[in-house]
Amino acid sequence: MNPARILIVDDDADITEAMRIVLESKGHTIDAAIDSKDAASRIKSQKPDLIILDVMMSTKSEGFDFARELKKDAKTRDIPILMLTAIKEKTGIDFKPAAGDETWLPVEDFLDKPVKPEQLIEKVESLLK
Amino acid sequence: MESILQSKNLVQRAYWLIRLRWMAIAGLATATFIANEILNVSLPVRYLYRMSVILIFYNFLLYDLMRYVTWKGRTTTPAAINRIITFQITADWIILTIILHFSGGIENPFYLYFVFHTILTGVLLSKVQSYIQATLAIVLFGALVFLEYLQVIPHYVLTGFLEGVNYRDELYIFGTFFVFSTTIYAVAYLTASISEQLRQQQKELEETNTQLQKKDNLKNEYVLRLTHDIKSHLAAIQSCLDVVNDQLVGSLNDKQIDLIERARRRTGKCLNFISALLKLTRMKLTGQLDMEYFPVRNVLFNSLATVERTAKEKEISISHQIGEGVDEIYGEPVLVEETLTNILFNAAKYTPEHGKIEVNIKDENEGVLIEVKDNGIGIPQQDLGRIFEEFFRAENARKIEKDGTGLGLSFARQVVERHKGSIWAGNNPEGGSTFSIRLPKRPY
Repeated sequence: MNPARILIVDDDADITEAMRIVLESKGHTIDAAIDSKDAASRIKSQKPDLIILDVMMSTKSEGFDFARELKKDAKTRDIPILMLTAIKEKTGIDFKPAAGDETWLPVEDFLDKPVKPEQLIEKVESLLK
Repeated sequence: MESILQSKNLVQRAYWLIRLRWMAIAGLATATFIANEILNVSLPVRYLYRMSVILIFYNFLLYDLMRYVTWKGRTTTPAAINRIITFQITADWIILTIILHFSGGIENPFYLYFVFHTILTGVLLSKVQSYIQATLAIVLFGALVFLEYLQVIPHYVLTGFLEGVNYRDELYIFGTFFVFSTTIYAVAYLTASISEQLRQQQKELEETNTQLQKKDNLKNEYVLRLTHDIKSHLAAIQSCLDVVNDQLVGSLNDKQIDLIERARRRTGKCLNFISALLKLTRMKLTGQLDMEYFPVRNVLFNSLATVERTAKEKEISISHQIGEGVDEIYGEPVLVEETLTNILFNAAKYTPEHGKIEVNIKDENEGVLIEVKDNGIGIPQQDLGRIFEEFFRAENARKIEKDGTGLGLSFARQVVERHKGSIWAGNNPEGGSTFSIRLPKRPY
């Protein structure tokens, strides 16, 4: 597995720190942003290979909105997004082609908090392939 | 209009009056027949039978009018129904007066029947309207009596019943009329004031109910915020503990590993509880469900996959049977899946090793019946009625698992009720329990 550049967007610094340690142990380089504005400028200055995005930041849908923006922009469209959300509770993920469906949820995969280290590594690696 | 009856009930009452009138018409014809043929009281039967026929037409007309006013899609205002009821009662007074005229006037004790409509107006209409109607009754009866007395209109003598000339006896007339008038007003007053009190109480109850609902919502919002916050903190704690536990920040000695493991286990339990509470509260607060048609079998297979590991650990065999005709139902697939998973998890949790769980889905005309049968510890008889309550846990369940949330089944009930279905549980004669969920196939 080649080391990748991963951007974590989450307003919870403790979770970010824990994820950073887990992912750095696999050799990845981690960049962190606390909101979508911060994230946008970081993406501009250096494009990451993967974005881990928390769904709930300042507003309930900030994560979703930001993901949609990224997917609309030709420059950022190809960056895979791993969303942190309990989305399975709310939507019929097993019955709908949810992830990747642009009109609905423009992310490649998602994980519920608290994220288990082994799960995080597994998802990240499958998305970086 | 202030009425103790809501407009829907008022409509029902208007129809009810029409139904009662059919009985009254039958009563009039029968009474005429009996009085004339059996009791040999002389009556202008021709007029009275004609009156019955007119009443039949009149009642059909009223029925059509009601149907017209309450036709599907038409907005029925309480005022319109009120007018129809007022019209019915007024017309009934006039008809009753005419019938009385043909059957002996003041000498016919059936004049007491004016009381019925007085009571009805007191209950169905406003206080003022009921006094107006009472006055109308008195005026009509008074006019009948005095016009007969003054011989402006003829008096039909009830030969064989009262043969005196009471209709010209001033003392009798005034006495009867006085008692009649005071009775009618007294009945109007009593009924109207009791009704008014009931209306007032109903209004107060409705207000209290609205307030309680508001408070309950407020409480739920508070719980939602609180649980959400707690969950974030717990998730952060858990994530940090996981990093330490995985020795990503340096190796640990055995004692450290043990303590971290204990801390993780407790945080995990806390997280389970908070997540269950969050889910339940969120559902209580959101009115709309994401409804769609989905195959029940998919939901079952997903649930079975979720509990598979737990069942395997205890070597519990899970079998399932999907009856003929079971296909799609209308609902929120994720919520239904979670409900079924909850029930299956419970079955696995409270069934001893090498136990057996059977899932049976049957097709019913309007819905499907999902039964989950286990041969586990069963439910104590005294707890059967309470297991779906929030935070309630049966005694024997608490012995097996100390830290259950007590929210799984209340979540299940919430979901099923949202789907207009039903959920219940019972003990099997051969041991263990069966949980049944009935869900409708189509939108309600």
